[in-house]
Amino acid sequence: MDFSVDSATQQRIEKLNDLGREHMRPLGIEADLLGRPTPPEHPYFEKLVGMGYGRTRYTGRKGQDDSPKKSSDKSKAKRMGRSRASLLLSEQMSYWDRGVAVSAPGPGLGEGAIMSMGTEDQKERYLSPFIKLDKPRWGAFAMTEPAAGSDVASIQTRAIKDGNDWVLIGNKSFSGNSSRSDFILVWATVDASLGRAGHRAFLVERGMPGLQDFHIEKKMGLKAYESTSFRLEECRVPAENLLGGEAYYESRAGFKGAMATFNATRPLIAAMAVGIGRSALDESLAFARENQMLDDPRVRDRLERVTRKLRAARLLCLKAAWLADHQQPNIVEASMSKAVAPTAAFEATSLGMELLGMVGARGDHLIEKLFRDVKAMDIVEGTGQIQRVVMARQMLGLPHG
Amino acid sequence: MFEIDPGEDINLIVDVVQRFSSAVLSEQYRDFEAAKALPATVLNDYAALGLGSLELPEALGGAGLGSRAKIAVLEELGYGDPGATLALDGIGPALYAIAELGGESALNEYILPRLGDPGARIALIWDDGGVRKKVGLRRNGDHYIGTEPWIPCQQADLLVILDRQGVSIVDSGFTLKAIKGSGLRAAGAAEVVFDQAPIAMRWDDPAAAARALAKWQLYISALLVGVFRVAADTSREYAMDRVAFGKPIAHHQALAFLIVDMQTAVDSTRLLMQDAACRADAGQPFEAAAASAFAEAVETSMFVTPNALQIFGGQGFMQDLPLEKYMREARTLGLMAGGVDLAREVAGQDVCAMGATVELSALALAE
Repeated sequence: MDFSVDSATQQRIEKLNDLGREHMRPLGIEADLLGRPTPPEHPYFEKLVGMGYGRTRYTGRKGQDDSPKKSSDKSKAKRMGRSRASLLLSEQMSYWDRGVAVSAPGPGLGEGAIMSMGTEDQKERYLSPFIKLDKPRWGAFAMTEPAAGSDVASIQTRAIKDGNDWVLIGNKSFSGNSSRSDFILVWATVDASLGRAGHRAFLVERGMPGLQDFHIEKKMGLKAYESTSFRLEECRVPAENLLGGEAYYESRAGFKGAMATFNATRPLIAAMAVGIGRSALDESLAFARENQMLDDPRVRDRLERVTRKLRAARLLCLKAAWLADHQQPNIVEASMSKAVAPTAAFEATSLGMELLGMVGARGDHLIEKLFRDVKAMDIVEGTGQIQRVVMARQMLGLPHG
Repeated sequence: MFEIDPGEDINLIVDVVQRFSSAVLSEQYRDFEAAKALPATVLNDYAALGLGSLELPEALGGAGLGSRAKIAVLEELGYGDPGATLALDGIGPALYAIAELGGESALNEYILPRLGDPGARIALIWDDGGVRKKVGLRRNGDHYIGTEPWIPCQQADLLVILDRQGVSIVDSGFTLKAIKGSGLRAAGAAEVVFDQAPIAMRWDDPAAAARALAKWQLYISALLVGVFRVAADTSREYAMDRVAFGKPIAHHQALAFLIVDMQTAVDSTRLLMQDAACRADAGQPFEAAAASAFAEAVETSMFVTPNALQIFGGQGFMQDLPLEKYMREARTLGLMAGGVDLAREVAGQDVCAMGATVELSALALAE
């Protein structure tokens, strides 16, 4: 049960550090200054694809890879677990720039749901282009709606069966990379009164009539990737685009597919927060050293506290990932890490601002950007409050609803 | 490298300690506290477990286990009664000062002869160099003057006085006067008055003193984790039973959130402590990690134990229940090992010496 890093992961992190220093951080700062996401045609994305980023876990139809987690864990017993490795990579990407990290090409947040719920045909159609990308490609995930955030059970986007098609009607918001995506995994309901049991997921392709009105939101930070709202105006989707097919929903609750996605990603988001916090801490230390502020015990105490909280958060993330790697339940640990890391990172950026003083007020220091970036980490993938509800359900039997 | 699971050997030991702690310490804590001592039977039963030489090198007849094992044992004992733990482990953290600065010959002289005696007590005292101008002890050339206001034992035939430069052994020229004590009363409590107490032995080695302090901090951290873990468990169980306004109080969100935050603090503090212990066992620098774990443990203890009492309301304030004791014990423990400000200082100096947070990052795990 150890947290040591294998050499392959270590090499990937070192490669990532070069990329981060050279491209990610400058691009993040540029997007922040210009107030718009890095455009999809930017050569950086070509470069990423060339380096092998953005690939799917799906190995193709012939791989018979129905249960990738189990098979890969057995074969890589000596290697670091997948969850821990991706956790460390996420943290380090986010250290350089979390917005740029999210803008990277790839199948997106829907990949997990497609892998676990999708039919063989769906995996082949939507994921195989990501096995080895011919060009920068994105996939997207759309659950959140203007009136349904954390309370995903109450999404209002309707799915109506019409002959051999489904008709989708509704509005989606804050969907990452969706205006540049080949497909969007859209969650809708066949009957809002059924709650989760009424949920269905659809693979909606770019260009399908009725998928329209993309609007890239203006954000406080993390400007390098697009958070996009769009409208489904009687968007007609063929029956075979229902994720998993009809049969899947007869036996199981569709909602569980979505929740499984969140379970795996919460520690990743927490690790990203730690990355931002470390970035702020590095900048703060450098600034304080340059300005001879480190002789002040008050300054040292506060830097110490921030460092300690980040380390603790990081250990919680690693523990959650370790449990995932060993197929042990990690709902509580995942939520713990997600509840704690964003606040620790926020404190790091806020302390950084105080050390900067008026320099922070100018609005052109990296720490000031990180201060704006980091707030989102306590909101995405379940707010800190939702994490506490999840933990309370597990630990205290807090009733649903 | 950090391992969550300490391994089968240590887990077996922990199981034994856990049984002892819940069968004996958790049952008799009020008796211990009233008597300010443990009955000989309890001392003997614990001695029979053979944990006194857990960390001694095998060459000296010890088990040769390290900090990871020790904190696991201490956490379980602390869960039962941290004051009693100090009495049971009478040599306690003084071992570190003697081992780190005096080496094997000092272990032979001061530790081995006391190993067979379940009632042996060595008091470890921190000399802060006079932070409080009107109280405390002072080293004055080759002797000590002044008073140490509190030590957690009634009688001790040996004082080990640690400071940032080194350590002194004092075996005469002092008197112990029994006092009440705030927490940890099961261990006993006394004031030490130094009457030109001569230094019997002195070793100066700041690096070794720093390691001894760090291990002391880990020792106390483990007891703190034990105390706030039991406080969190006890109050969580109560909150799920106690009904107010038509539902268990745990299901009122103000308390639900508080309780999960308490549990999160317990878990994350524990991880920091285990991480520091693993570094120590791996022979890596661990002083800052231990100081950091201690600072976190003290802060967490002052978050968890008062809130655990709060969850019980008026009942928590009554001495029929252990909640008030958890709070007192936690507060007292946090004053030991040089206190939390020293820990912040040690860890803070280390942070300021960092080139960049790569020391915190994945690459630091790769060693």
